[in-house]
Amino acid sequence: MLFEDRAKIPVEKRSYAKYYLIFSGLLFLGTAWAVWDEVRIRRPWKEYQTEYRELLSARLDSLRQVALENRDQERLKALEDELAKAKSALQSEEYTKAVEQKNDLLADLDIATREWRFARSRSDAAYYQYKKSLQTGINVEELKAEVAKHDADIESYFHRMEEINKQIALLDSVIYKYRDAVVRLEAELAQINSAANAYGLKLERAQAAPIAIRQVILNDFELTPFSEIKARIDRCQTCHVGWSEPLMADAPQPFKQHPLPELLAKHNPENFGCTPCHRGQGPALTTGFAHGEADKYWETPILRGVDVWASCNSCHSNESVLKHAPPFTKAKQLLLESGCFACHEIKGYTDVPKIGPPLNSLPAKVRPDWLFRWVKNPKDYNPHTRMPRFQFTDEEAEAITAYLMKIGRESNFQLVRARGTFAGGSSNRGKVIFETIGCTACHVAGENTAVRTKRGTTYDIAPELTRVGSKANPDWLFDWLKNPRHYNPDTRMPSLRLTDDEARHVVAYLMTLRDNRKLDPVNLALDDPAKIARGDRLIREYGCAGCHAIKGMENEGKVSVNLSDFGRKKYEQMDFGDTRELPLNAEVDYQENPDGTVSVKRTWAGWVYGKLKNSRLYQTDRISQKMPVFGFSDEEIRLLRMFLTSMTRDVPLPTYQRAFDRRQQEIEAGRRLTMHYNCVQCHTLEDRGGYLLASFEAEPALGPPPLPESQGAKVQEQWLHGFLKNPTIIRPWLEVRMPTFQLTDAEISQIQKYFLGLSKQELVIRDYASTTLDPQYLAPGRKLFDAYQCLSCHFTGRIPEGKSFADLAPNLALASSRLKPEWIVDWLRDPSKLQPGTRMPTYFYGGEAPDRTVFGGNAEEQIKALATYVWSIGSRARQAPASGQ
Amino acid sequence: MRFMMLFASVLCFTFVLVAGDVTGKIVFEGAAPTPARLRMDADPVCKRAHKEPVVGEEVVVNKNGTLKNVIVYVKDGLGGKKFDPPKEKKLFDQIGCVYTPHVLGVMTGQEVDIVNSDPTLHNVHTLSKENPSFNRAQPMKGMRMTEKFMKPEIFKVKCEVHTWMGAYIGVFSHPYYAVTGNDGSYTLKGLPAGEYTVEAWHEKYGTQQSKVKVDASGKVTADFKYKGN
Repeated sequence: MLFEDRAKIPVEKRSYAKYYLIFSGLLFLGTAWAVWDEVRIRRPWKEYQTEYRELLSARLDSLRQVALENRDQERLKALEDELAKAKSALQSEEYTKAVEQKNDLLADLDIATREWRFARSRSDAAYYQYKKSLQTGINVEELKAEVAKHDADIESYFHRMEEINKQIALLDSVIYKYRDAVVRLEAELAQINSAANAYGLKLERAQAAPIAIRQVILNDFELTPFSEIKARIDRCQTCHVGWSEPLMADAPQPFKQHPLPELLAKHNPENFGCTPCHRGQGPALTTGFAHGEADKYWETPILRGVDVWASCNSCHSNESVLKHAPPFTKAKQLLLESGCFACHEIKGYTDVPKIGPPLNSLPAKVRPDWLFRWVKNPKDYNPHTRMPRFQFTDEEAEAITAYLMKIGRESNFQLVRARGTFAGGSSNRGKVIFETIGCTACHVAGENTAVRTKRGTTYDIAPELTRVGSKANPDWLFDWLKNPRHYNPDTRMPSLRLTDDEARHVVAYLMTLRDNRKLDPVNLALDDPAKIARGDRLIREYGCAGCHAIKGMENEGKVSVNLSDFGRKKYEQMDFGDTRELPLNAEVDYQENPDGTVSVKRTWAGWVYGKLKNSRLYQTDRISQKMPVFGFSDEEIRLLRMFLTSMTRDVPLPTYQRAFDRRQQEIEAGRRLTMHYNCVQCHTLEDRGGYLLASFEAEPALGPPPLPESQGAKVQEQWLHGFLKNPTIIRPWLEVRMPTFQLTDAEISQIQKYFLGLSKQELVIRDYASTTLDPQYLAPGRKLFDAYQCLSCHFTGRIPEGKSFADLAPNLALASSRLKPEWIVDWLRDPSKLQPGTRMPTYFYGGEAPDRTVFGGNAEEQIKALATYVWSIGSRARQAPASGQ
Repeated sequence: MRFMMLFASVLCFTFVLVAGDVTGKIVFEGAAPTPARLRMDADPVCKRAHKEPVVGEEVVVNKNGTLKNVIVYVKDGLGGKKFDPPKEKKLFDQIGCVYTPHVLGVMTGQEVDIVNSDPTLHNVHTLSKENPSFNRAQPMKGMRMTEKFMKPEIFKVKCEVHTWMGAYIGVFSHPYYAVTGNDGSYTLKGLPAGEYTVEAWHEKYGTQQSKVKVDASGKVTADFKYKGN
């Protein structure tokens, strides 16, 4: 209707004012909304920054108030009074008059100085004329007189200046008497106020900080999937403003200080950003998008909880120990010890030795029925074994047993001693030996589980022996204890240098540890060729050869998938079998229901949790699965899952990585070796291990000594080589023994380089025996050695009588053949620095020496003297100290 | 500002006016364990220093049935109040190869003179967790070092040369602590009115707590009871 009416009005007369008004109104509102949306709604960080500024200002202000109150009020009052007095004294007649007079005098001085300079110029001019006249012979005398007159002027003005300066100096002594008092008092006040002023300054700076986007741009951080260099833009610090502010340690997010400042010292967010570790969507400026969680297509959402440590692997995939990342180190330990790489290809774990024992000569060691039960369910015999459970049926287990027994019968291995050689030991003495010499560092037997608890894993690193009496053939056990490498040339079990009798006692003890459960008898047909053939197939199919050396299976490959890019797998690509679905907002990823079913969250994390919890979880009647069940704890699952998160091919460019240079490679090789041989079960190395010390909590000095990072700088290479080849006694009071690992020269050299690498030293060939001593230091050294009573704890040569072993310190006669001379000096200077918690006290604290009579109490000279004398104790037998050069 | 300060000082003054003392004793029940005899054969200097046999001070029950070497201190209730350390120094002596006192209480920041009065080597190894631990030798008689402990905690001190030597130092951020002596009693003097948790600590028998209310009247009694085995 309306439009029909309008149509009757001639076009040129129609009014559009109404429409214009409405639409321009809408346009205005739209623009206003757009502006509002742009500057407020989409910029929550502005509010965050304002809030942060207020929070920080309030904290600084209260600190300033406290600092103000903590000032010595009496002193402050006195100073302020004095200052006021000193300032009012500046009004006194004496001072003002002096200043006035000085000003007058300064004016006079200016005039006198000017006149003096003019006189000098005039004199120069006249002198020139005079010199010239000497050549022409005109007016010579006249000009000479003029020069003299000007010179007299110079003299008189100079005197005048001196006179004035003297008067000024007199006045200054008056003036400065007043002014110095003010300056001194002001300085003292500033001192008292310094703490408060420092906070004040910080406060000003906090308040002046602009509200702005704070971004880090990494131009050449990584490559796109098309191998082009991709920049990374990171604006996290726009909201997380307080990340570096210690005052924000307990502030709410997003203002909280980063919990690991020492880690940030190596990865400075100001030029490294945050997303390389935390992931998320760097350029986004609203919470949901920045964290990448609101955007379901964002591939790398923020890593929460323990998962953040996964990022370490992007750059440190070659390293298995990271000082500032214990969860990362632990995850890698779990991975190595659980042998994931036996079936899966994993970046960085390609040539790791097999973790299980060879299975070629089993009949010498165990009986078939034990083997059958073990294959069926290893956790039944030993709940803490590392061997996972394959859930074989009786028939399958029988077939595998048949195959293993067959290759065992064909084996060349033979026990060399006569049958029954093991017999005759005392189980009581065996128990004592077992519990004191260090067997318990790796093996649990009976009730003593301190090492297992300290280790904190669900599995033991070596077989538990609580039921070994029902497993092992005692003849084999004796042979094994005497020389483990006879049965297994690659074993990590060391020789503890047991005498035949000691070995007999230990066998006697171990044979008392029996499996007292009533087990159903089994009937096995082990010679059936069809069974043997089936066993052969099963062993290949389940990849047993990944962990064990098995005859006939030497060339088997890895039986399962490559995990090197598993972290990027999408949950859509994963099959959840018959499990029920957990809602995405559930608190847990995995839940066991009362009716026996299991619910799993339909996410990558949920799937992995379920898989690691029960690797057969997603099996259905049509889909069979082969991965065995490990029985990981919740913590272990989370750590392994974190490690799997890191399995992507997205790696920063080399400039952002720590160079995996020769030194790092040597250190890593040493770490792997010391883990392989379980050195860390006894020794604390790089802040890990030392588990056996759990048994020596009352007196750690009676346990295995820790190996600090300075170990490489401590002992001589030749000595260490000899010691590792054939350990000798350093600390006679220790009952726990350093075993003989039968290491090869190459392995020893790996350990040497590892220790040297940790202490940042190079392998240098030195003849320590020819180290010359400065004879000047020998006698003072001897004197100090007595004065400082080194022999209160140490001894030289023979163990002193009447001393309890627990009170002793190492034999100093060994020093010159064992220690590096520079290390002795460093050690004497500050032992606790090299070995925190050591019983050796510091003598030279604060750079001072206790005895002032030697070298005038010069600490460095005394240390040199003591080191010289200590060095001479052992080397005296070898050579006389170099006499006077 | 002036007014505020005046007001504050008046307020403080009134606080001091309504301050009271907490006193009490540490009762020991049951049979006192036989103190271990300290065998000082390892160091003749130590052995010679004593004519009588020396016994350990781990548990010392006084004649009046009270326990010695218990630290009693205000654990909670002072709020964030800050106290200046006293100017006078405390003495921690090594004499006759025994630490004297066996239990020492100090305030944070207070100076402690650690002295070796024996003509033999001693070392002072503090097994502190909060304060930086140190292990220093004093090989000469008369050596003295002055230390300050800045964080409150109770820690053990031991000598590595003479394994029987052990002592405890309790560090407190306020002056309201006391170590029981030969009469087994303690007094926490001049506590401002308020409610407090008072804790007693003994090296063998552990800690006990008690709630006390100090009001204007000034005297509160809180006894603690330890049982022997």
